[in-house]
Amino acid sequence: MTTITLAVSEFGLYAPVGILLLMAIGFGVANVALSTVLGPSRHGKVKGMVYESGMNPIGSAKRRFNVRFYIVAMTFLVFDVEIVFLYPWASVFPSLAEGSPYGVLFLSRMLFFVLTSIIAFAYAWRKGVFRYD
Amino acid sequence: MNMAEKIAGVWPEIALLLGAALCLLVGLARSVAIRRFTGWIAAASLLVAGWIVAAQVCNAGGVIGLTPYIKLAVVAVGLILLMVAAAVPVQLKMTRDIEAGREPFEPGLVIRGEFFAFFLFSLTGVMLTADASDLVWLFLALELTSLPTYVMVATSRDRVEAQESGVKYFFLGAMAAAVFLYGFALIYGATGQTSFSLIVDAANQQIAAQGRISPLLTTGIVLSLLGVAFKIAAVPMHFYAADVYQGATTAVTAFLAFVPKTAGFVALIALLGLLPDGYVPPAITWLLWIMAALTMTVGNVLGLMQSNVKRVLAYSSIAHSGYMLVGLLALHGSGDALGNGTAAILFYLVAYGLATIGAFAVLGSLQARGEEAETFDDISGLVRTHPVLAGVMLLSVLSLLGLPPMIGFLGKIYLFGSAIQHGFVGLVVIAVLNSAVSAVYYLRIASACFFGDSEGHTVSTPGISRPLAAGIAAVAALILGFAGGRLVSTARDAGGFPTGRNDVVTTPSQPPAATTASR
Amino acid sequence: MTDPLHSLTLAHYLFTGAVLFVLGVIGFISRRNLIIMFLCTEMMFQGVAVTLVAFSRYHQNDTGQTFVIFLLTIAAAEAALALGLVVLLFRRRRTLDAQAWGEMKG
Repeated sequence: MTTITLAVSEFGLYAPVGILLLMAIGFGVANVALSTVLGPSRHGKVKGMVYESGMNPIGSAKRRFNVRFYIVAMTFLVFDVEIVFLYPWASVFPSLAEGSPYGVLFLSRMLFFVLTSIIAFAYAWRKGVFRYD
Repeated sequence: MNMAEKIAGVWPEIALLLGAALCLLVGLARSVAIRRFTGWIAAASLLVAGWIVAAQVCNAGGVIGLTPYIKLAVVAVGLILLMVAAAVPVQLKMTRDIEAGREPFEPGLVIRGEFFAFFLFSLTGVMLTADASDLVWLFLALELTSLPTYVMVATSRDRVEAQESGVKYFFLGAMAAAVFLYGFALIYGATGQTSFSLIVDAANQQIAAQGRISPLLTTGIVLSLLGVAFKIAAVPMHFYAADVYQGATTAVTAFLAFVPKTAGFVALIALLGLLPDGYVPPAITWLLWIMAALTMTVGNVLGLMQSNVKRVLAYSSIAHSGYMLVGLLALHGSGDALGNGTAAILFYLVAYGLATIGAFAVLGSLQARGEEAETFDDISGLVRTHPVLAGVMLLSVLSLLGLPPMIGFLGKIYLFGSAIQHGFVGLVVIAVLNSAVSAVYYLRIASACFFGDSEGHTVSTPGISRPLAAGIAAVAALILGFAGGRLVSTARDAGGFPTGRNDVVTTPSQPPAATTASR
Repeated sequence: MTDPLHSLTLAHYLFTGAVLFVLGVIGFISRRNLIIMFLCTEMMFQGVAVTLVAFSRYHQNDTGQTFVIFLLTIAAAEAALALGLVVLLFRRRRTLDAQAWGEMKG
């Protein structure tokens, strides 16, 4: 089979990729292994104590948050990232020559994009995401 | 291709997106009667999209290239899937309570609009995958296909299994997405381009300069293939399939068995289209060879050991991905459907989709002990209570098995034929052996329906749409099996042009000769 | 065109990206808490983003950086989806331990 000989002869070409992968895997595995081997795991009353002038905690830290917080977080996340698309647009828009015929087109494209976000916002509102009762 | 042409190409997708947005809004209406319209809106937007695709096909003078073929297939199969899935929101206790007036209307709790909107979003993703001419576009289209399916799985059923399998599906899907993205990044790194045609140019230059493509490009394509393998449930990304298919409600399972898989194969065809003509690095040939052999063997062997029909069909779906991977090896062929792997895959996708949707639709129509039918016991003796459904199930499993009158037979002939023409005889022998093994569990389903002891099953779906969809799928699989020539020649026209060069204007190939196909 | 791997500064960025990606993979496989598993997939995405930006700089074109913007959007959409699904599951199961899902065996 010629493919085998081809594969063997081409193997050297893959050395940089292989080394990159090996280094990456080695780094990851080594860190995880080192932290489990070297890291002491002690649990005790003293270790769990509040540091210096800290307040003694009231109640359990594992108290559950209202699900509303997660929903707000989710909505924030989605709308937040849409802003990323505004930046490249905003950095190019001023460089358009004044009176350029593409100005209106450029603006309307972004307005259309914002419109889609507004529809999504209206949907979220109707769905009751922003109600606190 | 400039902006205006690109937009002209995606009008069907725009129609579907508008339909989805409308579903979202109408689904929140206060009146139940208006909310019930969402399913019809979804159907209407699919029909509009289909009409636009048909008009585009007429303008172009035939199905030229993979894009219109996939879009037509998505609309046709999408309509059948919509009939299967129409009753899913009603199966949820919350929807029933609100619509019967037992609970007050609460916008945060109704899911009718969301379900159909996600349905349409996912189909839009497949169409956009077929349109892709750029890595960024391909990535966005694949994610648009997948993200809605995670939610559809998790919210499709009241049982906690659905949520668990939805979460499992999502996490593995996110990891697979990261893997193929890393592949895309390496492809970009090796060529400096994300546009398919420019990548091909760069790869051709590498061939001209060094007689090979750069190892970085090969590695990138390999990683992309591995990541996309998740969408088609191929080894090594197959292990989620059985759990997710079992956990989701049967109508959504039918959706999963066709829609992400189609997107996955279109993406695989596009990715292999990035290689220069007639040059496949041995690493990629080996990878596909091993993946194909393992996928079908694992699917069929594990399929033998299941007692749950949904899991059997899940493993059968894995096995069919393996068969289609065989065609992927013969991708760079040309000529008629027998020698062209792309055409064979395109044809087989439709053949497999019809049969598997038919089988799932029968399962979804049945109820045993207050739950959807799942096990062999649940369907045993079906012929005595519901002879038509039993017949549909028989036709579906025979088509999946690939017996002569059915469309699945033609599909396998073309797939394996194209592979033999490219010299992959060993792999075809494995595939044929696998087909023989698969007969055991397919016939087990059929014999349970026909010779099992009858127990009390009732048709559960409100309305006729789900059994009807099963019937349509099975009859289509039968009729197309007899008269598959037209579809084969269409698939041949569609597969005759490698993707990545979609934007090159091509003339339609010769009128459909369909020598081996029409009988 | 020279082989991109043989440029010194590029290799540093690629190494950072690859380490982030592989750490994500290892964490995803070895951890059992759903939130941490999700953070690991995010880390894989960020590894890809570093790689893309490095290549973008190397090739002196903006395509890679454009890709990163879209990647970040998808990552945010996945994060929102993950939060939603995890909250949905937590309400039913009261645990985020992936091994507690005993109902299904592969």
